[in-house]
Amino acid sequence: MECRVLSIQSHVVRGYVGNKSASFPLQVLGFEVDSINSVQFSNHTGYSHWKGQVLTADELHVLYEGIKLNNVNHYDYVLTGYTRDTSFLEMVVDIVQELKRANPNLVYVCDPVLGDHGSMYVPQNLHPVYKNKVVPVADIITPNQFEAELLTGKNISTEKDAVEVMDLLHKMGPDTVVITSSDLPPRLGDRFLVSFGSQRILMPDGTRKTQRIRIEVPKVDAVFVGTGDLFAAMLLAWTHHYPTDLKTACEKTFSVMHHVIQRTISYAHGKITAKKFFYICVCMA
Amino acid sequence: MDCRVLSVQSHVVRGYVGNKSASFPLQVLGFEVDTINSVQFSNHTGYEHWKGQVLTADELHVLYEGIKLNNVNQYDYVLTGYTRDDSFLDMVVDIVQELKRANPNLVYVCDPVLGDNGAMYVPENLLPIYRCKVVPAADIITPNQFEAELLTGRNISSEKDAVEVMNLLHSMGPDTVVITSSDLPSPLGDQYLVALGSQKRVTADGTMVTQQIRMDIPRVDAVFVGTGDLFAAMLLAWTHLHPDNLKMACEKTVSVLCHVIKRTITYAKEVAGPNRRPSPAQLELRMVQSKADIEDPAIVVNAVVL
Repeated sequence: MECRVLSIQSHVVRGYVGNKSASFPLQVLGFEVDSINSVQFSNHTGYSHWKGQVLTADELHVLYEGIKLNNVNHYDYVLTGYTRDTSFLEMVVDIVQELKRANPNLVYVCDPVLGDHGSMYVPQNLHPVYKNKVVPVADIITPNQFEAELLTGKNISTEKDAVEVMDLLHKMGPDTVVITSSDLPPRLGDRFLVSFGSQRILMPDGTRKTQRIRIEVPKVDAVFVGTGDLFAAMLLAWTHHYPTDLKTACEKTFSVMHHVIQRTISYAHGKITAKKFFYICVCMA
Repeated sequence: MDCRVLSVQSHVVRGYVGNKSASFPLQVLGFEVDTINSVQFSNHTGYEHWKGQVLTADELHVLYEGIKLNNVNQYDYVLTGYTRDDSFLDMVVDIVQELKRANPNLVYVCDPVLGDNGAMYVPENLLPIYRCKVVPAADIITPNQFEAELLTGRNISSEKDAVEVMNLLHSMGPDTVVITSSDLPSPLGDQYLVALGSQKRVTADGTMVTQQIRMDIPRVDAVFVGTGDLFAAMLLAWTHLHPDNLKMACEKTVSVLCHVIKRTITYAKEVAGPNRRPSPAQLELRMVQSKADIEDPAIVVNAVVL
């Protein structure tokens, strides 16, 4: 498989978010991953402390120029995620457009990170940039429910709403949309959460067909960071292997997530239990 | 295996040098790899063009401070390679020393990159820092012949010289020394290059023993970049898995290099076409494609115990 991905995401010294979360899994699956690190931080911002440096839009451009001067600016995929800066995001769009001119078959996988649970956690001025510039050039997007609602201006209260919102997102550009999580009531009960996917395919006879899926995934009682980045990377990989079968691509992607999360929570619980025991001993003493 | 490495090396957007060369193989082998990128360049400097940004010693310190503030500055290994800046190298040594205070069993694997084929390709003022500060703090070093001669001030014209130089390097600090390449004549002929290794260790009954080895490695007619970084990373891995058996650790390490290089040159020649020299872009290591060889290398080079 000769498939080259350009991933423009954060780098953390320790841990798995951004490019740290996306690169290794994609490499393990045989993808060549070129990575531009949009920041270098000691660790993600969920820790007590974090320190590091950010890349400016100009510095991003300089790195791309180096690739271009060597005539190696040929990619099959571009992958982007969490960004905080509008000029950086605009530079990313310029790069994607140029790469698409070089390779019209390039697939741009975009996680339009804006916020969650009803509030934005990036600067507000990124919203119009995603809506008007980024999503229109994206081929695959992975918004959560809040982001899907923000981008389309429509609320999702039912499955029917979710389907309409995904159709609206298709109209804006991407042929593949996965709403990675929602607060719609799962059929399997409240230990699950509901996700949706929609893929528009061009049939041999020239007509358009849309495959829509619903996936219910077991909830885990913990906060994980980097899972969205892993999701987008694995969706890239599995839609590459199943380009017209969103059901299988999503089943593989969500299953990877499940295995990683289970292993993580088991390991973490082992550590927490040991720590709790230590505290109990101290108190008794 | 719960083994955490701190690797402080270059990052290139495209290709496999520095941290790009070291991380994936170590992760494939199950190591947790924390990476501080000393630079971010578009690609390595063997291409016609390269562009990017460098990390200053202060910025390195800031990143380390972040790790420290969260109380996660606990590592089993530190790995470093090509550096161009003396204050950056000084800061690396400070960090290693602090990490060793936190974990006295920490192993510092250092590729003392100074030059090759008789010439230095880093600023001259790095030599005294390597000699006086870095090598004394290191546990495993992977100099080439030129670097081993520079560090010790002694020439290597025979295998006997090489053993003496490795002993001198041991007395400077590291218990494990691998001279990764030399121009000594190989008993297998001129299609081979000679590498040597030496490991000092204390046996169960308290005596100090030294195992010395020689390897005869098939030459390949091309310039590869990132192979030294891959070598140091794999030596870290295989000495971790075979801590008292330098022969085995080196056979595995060199074998991985052989597999990756063979895959790379085959691919490069194919894409370059007949009668054309492959370009630096085409000669990038086929790292991702070599995953199986990295996980479980078939031994293709045997080390001779001296």
